[in-house]
Amino acid sequence: MSNEQQFSDEYLNSFVDNELTIEEKSRVYITIHQDEALSRRVCELRKIHEVVQLAYKNLPPPPSAQPSPQKSARLRHSVAAGLVFVLGVLFSWFQFGASTNALRHDVQNAANGLFARVVAVVNPTAPATRGNQAMHVVADASTQEMKVLFHLSSGEPEHIKKVLDEAESLLQLYAQQKQPARVEIITNGQGLNLLLADRSPFPERVSQMQKRYSNLSFAACQNTMEKYSDLGLDTRLLPGTIVIESGVAQIIRLQQQGWAYIQV
Amino acid sequence: MNKTITTLMAAALFALSAGFVHAEGDAKAGSSYPKQKVVYHVNTDDAKTLKAALGNIQNHINAVGKDNIELKVVMHGDGLELLKTANTNPDMQSKVVNLKGQKVEFVVCNNTLVGRKINFKNDLFDVSEKDIVPSGVAELAKLQQQGYVYIKP
Repeated sequence: MSNEQQFSDEYLNSFVDNELTIEEKSRVYITIHQDEALSRRVCELRKIHEVVQLAYKNLPPPPSAQPSPQKSARLRHSVAAGLVFVLGVLFSWFQFGASTNALRHDVQNAANGLFARVVAVVNPTAPATRGNQAMHVVADASTQEMKVLFHLSSGEPEHIKKVLDEAESLLQLYAQQKQPARVEIITNGQGLNLLLADRSPFPERVSQMQKRYSNLSFAACQNTMEKYSDLGLDTRLLPGTIVIESGVAQIIRLQQQGWAYIQV
Repeated sequence: MNKTITTLMAAALFALSAGFVHAEGDAKAGSSYPKQKVVYHVNTDDAKTLKAALGNIQNHINAVGKDNIELKVVMHGDGLELLKTANTNPDMQSKVVNLKGQKVEFVVCNNTLVGRKINFKNDLFDVSEKDIVPSGVAELAKLQQQGYVYIKP
């Protein structure tokens, strides 16, 4: 049976946008590996995703910074943007209510939040993967979900252990603080060893951490896997590992999406 | 009439808000770089790397201008060696003093202090309570979220 029908476009878009839980992601990965048609479809979606990302990067600066030849057009832009800003203020006002949180946000946070809101309102993301995506953006800017990636490129068991320790203590801290957070450990080069079924120094630890922290994911770089494969090495991965086309590209993509980068 | 007032107010508000964003990115006169916020991550006790890190930081400040940069050094794990060495090694100490004179902040991880039973007053060079954060790694994540650029020397 073809798995083409098993996942809707919306679901696969969420997958490409890295919005699924680790269980969901690994289910898609397992299926992709068994189904070439599905794999091609995901590849296409990824390309679209990249193009969309690229398009956003090349967006012209906000109207205020752009000298416009037409005064009336400029005024219209300013007015539109101004209205958006007022909406943003009202929105955050309702969100914060009377809480003093609003006071604690410094000017920069306010500016960042504003920008996120403007983007959310003016450019609703093309592949609307989740109905409330615009809401997500607004919520992210104010509840400040922490997103942290650990880059692991060394195969030294001692070093790998440090990375796992640091990631785990960070996850524990966030759990204690009830701080919404997502953590991803991205492996490439020798770091892939952590996730290889036949040579991982800490397979049980990985599995324990996956069970304990639903907001943690382990990612393996496909480029590295292919290199290992060419060398005749076994590239079967530990269960629950997600595969990314390129570790470096994923690191850049996540940082552009506001993830913090840490190399232990 | 009402409509005009509303639109004018909206435009004024937008101009104000755009001003916030703009001021942030403005280049300071005299430096070719816009204002920077940078965090250096130090978690090694390798003497060569530590020395190189302090050299990088000084060069970084020279290039950007000390009034044009907010620079923090976050140390955890083996990285606390930097301030341990500065306690005894005059060369390292003068480098740290020099950098602090240029408003560099040296931030210490409390998890490491507790885990390794380090007495920050005796074992580390010139550390006070305000320099200590609960978790070095969480601090790195927080600073990046606040717009600091991460550098691992």
